Amino acid sequence: MNSKVTNRIALSLIILCAAVMAGILATLLGYILVKGVSSISWHFLTTSSSPFLAGGGIKDQLWNSFYVLIITMLLTVPIGVSGGIYLAEYAKPGRLTSFIRTCVEVLASLPSIVVGMFGMLVFVNYFGFKFSVFSGALALTVFNLPVIVRVTEDGFNSLSRHQKEGGLALGLTHWHTIKTILLPAAFPSILTGIILSAGRVFGESAALLFTAGLSTPDLDFGNWNPAAPNSPLNLFRSAETLSVHIWAVNTGGIMPDVQTIANGSAAVLVICVLLFNLFARALGKVINQKLSGR
Amino acid sequence: MKIGKVAMDPATATASKSKLINEKGLFWRLTDRTSESRGKVLIYSSAILMIVAVTAITLFLTIQGLRSFVVDHLNFWTFITGTQWYPDRAQNPSFGAFPFIFGSMAVTFLAALIATPIAIGTAIFMAELAKKWGTKVMQPIIEILVGIPSVVYGLIGLSLIVPFMRVHFGGSGFNLLAGAIVVGIMILPTVASIAADSIRAVPDSLRQASYAIGATKWQTIWRVVIPAAGSSLVTAIVLGMSRAFGEALAVQMVIGNVVTLPKSIFDPSATLTTIITLSMGHTTTGSILNDALWSLGFILLLISYVFIVIIRFLSRRRNA
Amino acid sequence: MIQMEKNIVSFSNNTVTKDLPVQINAEDVNIYYGDNHAVKHVNLPIHEKSITALIGPSGCGKSTFIRTINRMNDLIPAARCEGTISYKDVNILNPKVDVVQLRKEIGMVFQQPNPFPKSISENIQLPLRFAGVRNKKTLKEVTEDCLQQVGLWDEVKDRLDRSATSLSGGQQQRLCIARALALKPDVILLDEPTSALDPVSSAKIEELLLQLKNDYTIVIVTHNMQQAARIADYTAFFYQGELIEFGKTRTLFTNPEKKSTSDYISGRFG
Repeated sequence: MNSKVTNRIALSLIILCAAVMAGILATLLGYILVKGVSSISWHFLTTSSSPFLAGGGIKDQLWNSFYVLIITMLLTVPIGVSGGIYLAEYAKPGRLTSFIRTCVEVLASLPSIVVGMFGMLVFVNYFGFKFSVFSGALALTVFNLPVIVRVTEDGFNSLSRHQKEGGLALGLTHWHTIKTILLPAAFPSILTGIILSAGRVFGESAALLFTAGLSTPDLDFGNWNPAAPNSPLNLFRSAETLSVHIWAVNTGGIMPDVQTIANGSAAVLVICVLLFNLFARALGKVINQKLSGR
Repeated sequence: MKIGKVAMDPATATASKSKLINEKGLFWRLTDRTSESRGKVLIYSSAILMIVAVTAITLFLTIQGLRSFVVDHLNFWTFITGTQWYPDRAQNPSFGAFPFIFGSMAVTFLAALIATPIAIGTAIFMAELAKKWGTKVMQPIIEILVGIPSVVYGLIGLSLIVPFMRVHFGGSGFNLLAGAIVVGIMILPTVASIAADSIRAVPDSLRQASYAIGATKWQTIWRVVIPAAGSSLVTAIVLGMSRAFGEALAVQMVIGNVVTLPKSIFDPSATLTTIITLSMGHTTTGSILNDALWSLGFILLLISYVFIVIIRFLSRRRNA
Repeated sequence: MIQMEKNIVSFSNNTVTKDLPVQINAEDVNIYYGDNHAVKHVNLPIHEKSITALIGPSGCGKSTFIRTINRMNDLIPAARCEGTISYKDVNILNPKVDVVQLRKEIGMVFQQPNPFPKSISENIQLPLRFAGVRNKKTLKEVTEDCLQQVGLWDEVKDRLDRSATSLSGGQQQRLCIARALALKPDVILLDEPTSALDPVSSAKIEELLLQLKNDYTIVIVTHNMQQAARIADYTAFFYQGELIEFGKTRTLFTNPEKKSTSDYISGRFG
């Protein structure tokens, strides 16, 4: 065959692939947003879910999702950032370092359900945290840690060597150079990575199934005492998050408006993830402009 | 910096109690706020925690997963090759996990089969044909899609693909192919974005050399760019496969969850992850069924490790 | 070549007539990067309150040597160092040396201006805060004093809280020198401080160094021979890791002992 004809055909096929991709993506987002947004109402967002009646909302699930996310981030960010700093600044090439790198890689590629099973075994049963916000957050910490570690390491590695030398030459200790010069300089890229990972954590479901549970006690949003069993702040109560809720109503829901609830919840979930994404991008841009001194 | 052969007179060194010589004790080092050691404690313990996490996951799941063979005396070989999964039968319960292993494999490979051409095609489109459009429009959208939660993909499958299957291929519409399509779509953005990165990493000089000898755009892509990006592209696909393999809820929502071996891709079936998701909550700790489920989890972990080893191997070969 | 002759004649009159006491003395210093013997058996005295220039073609070991004086080479895991560099009766290369304290006494300025991405005043106050200075008034005074010394005060006094990265390259470099002065070091090491700057900024820095040598010992690495001739009291010529020749700048430039020195300063290689 003429090479020009082959060229034409092949390039057309590639464009077709891209078009198929674009089509799939458009259908996906379109379906969720069009079908889902029509199910979202103030009532939907602020009413508790009902196990068998129509008209239930997602107030508790939405709260749980954010609460688990916040606790997870409180646990992950300090550990993950420290781990990233270790790899970028302290790790000397050798067996131990490459072993730690392998560990990060393994943690990053384990299926989330495996992390969930581990969480159930260790946090829920062994440590006796039961199905709870805290168990869920610990499992998600295991799941999210490698992401933060990588983001931090990349952030540090992209800094110029001159900053570090400047700090050390002034008689700052290595640790203080890191704390006051390198970390602030790497902060924008780390923050962007953290917010992006927050989107991932927010939508995670399989790891929470066996750790945070499939139910939520009747939350009393007037009671902010963390020790009370029905307080929204209680760490040791079970907490069904939004993404687990979508799965649960679809597999075992008996309320008549399953489809509406599922679509609405999915739309809320997707919108939240989109917001995390856009926020991270915008923030990255703003801080970058500020840092460049203009 | 290592320092050797310090030709310093020891007498002068000790005589001059200069501030330059560091002879501070452990206590001082840990209490002084400008000290290096306090930071190091924090940093090193985080690094160690990572090792602890991986070791703990592997150990706990292995111990728990081996219980069914050691404590309950199930035969390992019949466990992984048996096709009969009737744990609840009062007489002669049987634990044959092969349908799930097969289901997981089938979903993974079918998903890769569906995703690879579209993802690589898109990657070539973004990185070679429409660079501006690709980086400005496609790339951000694809990155956002990477972050869409898997349950949402499951929900879409449930509301669009399952009804489609029901109408066109009969049955309930819940089947192996539906599961594969859902995961295939789910891994599309991941594979496409990594593939596009690796195509962009191919140096321009190679392309110019190819155009200079009169190659068409397609010949350049097919003969020069793809071979040069080769193992990175394979890594992208394998990464996608490992995600597909580990996915639980999205597959579970559309695959039908039948414990028998499917006869065609239009039969409902089950995977390792779906059977664990479904049954784990209904079993009591210590029962044989519960132990068997942990063994399935252990197999899941083992195969995940296989994927990790393959990916490492591929990326090491690329670096070499 | 004629240009060169002219420059050699235009030595600064600051050149010392009498040797001041030796502050840092390097004896038989060897530095290795892995298997690469980067600095070989160097013996070099550095006299206090004067400018010592290290010259030589790139890769001759002069930067490696200067970075060893305040142990910046500790950052490179493969680097290894033998010998003695004595300073205040202590061998700087002793592993027990508190490098943090050492670097407070021996400051360093780099080729690429590296102000921290913080405000101008913070750049100077940061090292002071670590040295334990908390008093706000003192901090302010030292900031002004240091900026005055480098002649930057009048240029930036109205925008001390602007980002240091908004300054021009020459201003950034002078800020880095001011930052090094804040800790009142004894010695300032400069590793090609003007090679990233335009000629006007370079001239300002040279002028500044001539003033500073009244209070500080200055060691400067430069690949610009005219610069060495203009400002240095002593010059050391490095070639392929060896110290070929060391002496008073005027002597070394007008009447070099070794052939390779005269080849280099007359521009026959490098």
